[in-house]
Amino acid sequence: MENTLLKKNTALWIITILVLFVLSIILGIIMRLNQGAVIQLSPVTFYTDMTTHGLTMIGIWFVAGMAGINFIMERYVKTSYWANLLAYILTIVGVVMLWVSTLIGNFHAGWTFLYPLPFKIMWSAWATPLFLFSLTTLGVGWLIWCLSLVTALLKKYSIPQVFAWQHFKKNPQVETPPFVLISMISLVGIITCLIAAVILLVLLFSEYYSNGTFVNDALLMKNLTYFFGHTLANEMLYLGLAILYELFSEISGQPKWKTTWYVALAWNFTLIFILTAFFHHLYMDFVQPEGFQIIGQIASYSASLPAAGVTVFSVIVAVYRKKINWSLSNLLFFIGVVGWVIGGIGAVIDATISNNFVLHNTLWVPAHFHTYNALGNVLFSLAFFYWFSKYYTHSKSKDRFSTLKLLFIVIGGIGFLLAFYIGGADSIPRRYSDYPEAFISAKALAAFGAAFATVYLIGIIILFVNISNRCLRILFSRS
Amino acid sequence: MQNSLLLLFLILAGIIIIIFTYVFLSSKRDEQKQDGMQNALQKRFWFILILFIVLAIFASITIPKSPYFIFADEQPAKVIHVASRQFYFIMSSQAIDPENPVADASIEVPLNELVEFRVTSLDVNHGFAIYNPTNELIAQTQAMPGYVNRLRWKFTEPGNYNVYCLEYCGMAHQGMKTSFIVK
Repeated sequence: MENTLLKKNTALWIITILVLFVLSIILGIIMRLNQGAVIQLSPVTFYTDMTTHGLTMIGIWFVAGMAGINFIMERYVKTSYWANLLAYILTIVGVVMLWVSTLIGNFHAGWTFLYPLPFKIMWSAWATPLFLFSLTTLGVGWLIWCLSLVTALLKKYSIPQVFAWQHFKKNPQVETPPFVLISMISLVGIITCLIAAVILLVLLFSEYYSNGTFVNDALLMKNLTYFFGHTLANEMLYLGLAILYELFSEISGQPKWKTTWYVALAWNFTLIFILTAFFHHLYMDFVQPEGFQIIGQIASYSASLPAAGVTVFSVIVAVYRKKINWSLSNLLFFIGVVGWVIGGIGAVIDATISNNFVLHNTLWVPAHFHTYNALGNVLFSLAFFYWFSKYYTHSKSKDRFSTLKLLFIVIGGIGFLLAFYIGGADSIPRRYSDYPEAFISAKALAAFGAAFATVYLIGIIILFVNISNRCLRILFSRS
Repeated sequence: MQNSLLLLFLILAGIIIIIFTYVFLSSKRDEQKQDGMQNALQKRFWFILILFIVLAIFASITIPKSPYFIFADEQPAKVIHVASRQFYFIMSSQAIDPENPVADASIEVPLNELVEFRVTSLDVNHGFAIYNPTNELIAQTQAMPGYVNRLRWKFTEPGNYNVYCLEYCGMAHQGMKTSFIVK
């Protein structure tokens, strides 16, 4: 019974995420069309659109990863259906509050809402507290969800086991499945960054309601913002990888991947690197202690070692000269790994302090993070969504037009991203509603990016219709 | 510099695409030849070792070129004070009083000599990004309320340099701009 409820809730998550994804892509295309002077929006409309797009995208792909790992985790431990449902309700309430604060209240401080910008009211006065309460609502739901999953894991596995430390010795008595290890590593990172978000929100609320008697420190607030924002955005990718470790071999008709000592070591190191890499967001704040800046570069570089040496290499070993039952799901996983690696290269280039000096806050930044999201993490989650919808509707039908769907997504994605990378190399600033005439290539690149993003959207809509139809059947089925 | 970085990125991305395409195609070969990767563990360690060495070389070359270390031991020939505010820059060769900020009518900085920009903000976070006469971003720092970031640079080309705000600061962010002359 519980499992059926979880299945239905997962179907509900998938439909909701895909609806919000399509809407958010449309917001993104509208932004690029405006930058390309194809349409004309007021700057306020553009920036409210930008704030809505950024926060919704981060939120939905985080909960997509969470819904995926919650569903798979049920294979190993009993999870709480109620925590999952509560997170869903609070996510919906939080997103509605967020959209009201931006689209009706015109709140437009960006997804980073860098202190003290939310307090320089350029919108309806009620929009600032509503925005902060929307984040609180989302944060509470997600924190409870993460804690419930960690509790479920710790009921079965001891702390050394859940982190797979026994794999550092020869012949371990207990095997920790890679899925359990990666989920735990990711959940610990997420809980840590959500605690930073709680501190950030408490400080923001304290100043907002202090009538000027309490003022925050801008550098501390910026550190907290990026510790929370960067880490959450990164961890959602690792949630997608946990699902890949579990499902890629299964869908491909291969033996299940096992935890080895180097897999355990890589993921334990990943936790450390991921919690310190956020410093690269503050490279251009020269008052930040230099030691932190260097830690930022070294942690950002180091994070690529376990990722490339273990996960990416494992995918290559699993596919190279092996018989694979290719389907849309494992193709999405495979292409997602390529997008993740290429986005990672863009990220490592930008995480080099001397490069960041000329790339920071140019279009290079949205270029690299859209690469490992739009052509990486999103594909991991879509692979799970597609597999889930086929498996639980017992659909034996062949994947129709798989190549066409993938071509739309990949070609649309590449064109859309190239416009960002070339713009970054042309020193074009990010987050500009309109471009000054001095940026000669900016408008043409934006229009080019919008056209290809539309192609990407078509591919997503075709997949959305396929997956949502089947998920609706799961949602309204009796078993 | 940015074009070199783009080229490096495109080359590496191309290599990745070729490798993954090759690996994908290998899975579709004749079944008899599907014996997997030989000595995978050994290859994995060589790969990690080479990647580690490449990244270590990159880090050791690039970290000393970070803006905190370049020109750190020299004395600036000229200091420019910068106070940012929604949605304009106040630049002066004199220290700026936050209560009564006054900008110089125009700013000139010397060619081939060290200039230090002392950058702060009087309200929200802003960016202070210097673009050369061909509109290429050459140096930047952030303008943060309550802090002063010291950006040092030697200009090697004379001309008009634009400064744009690169940290999103509100509805007129895209119009926040100033300029100075190097001669």
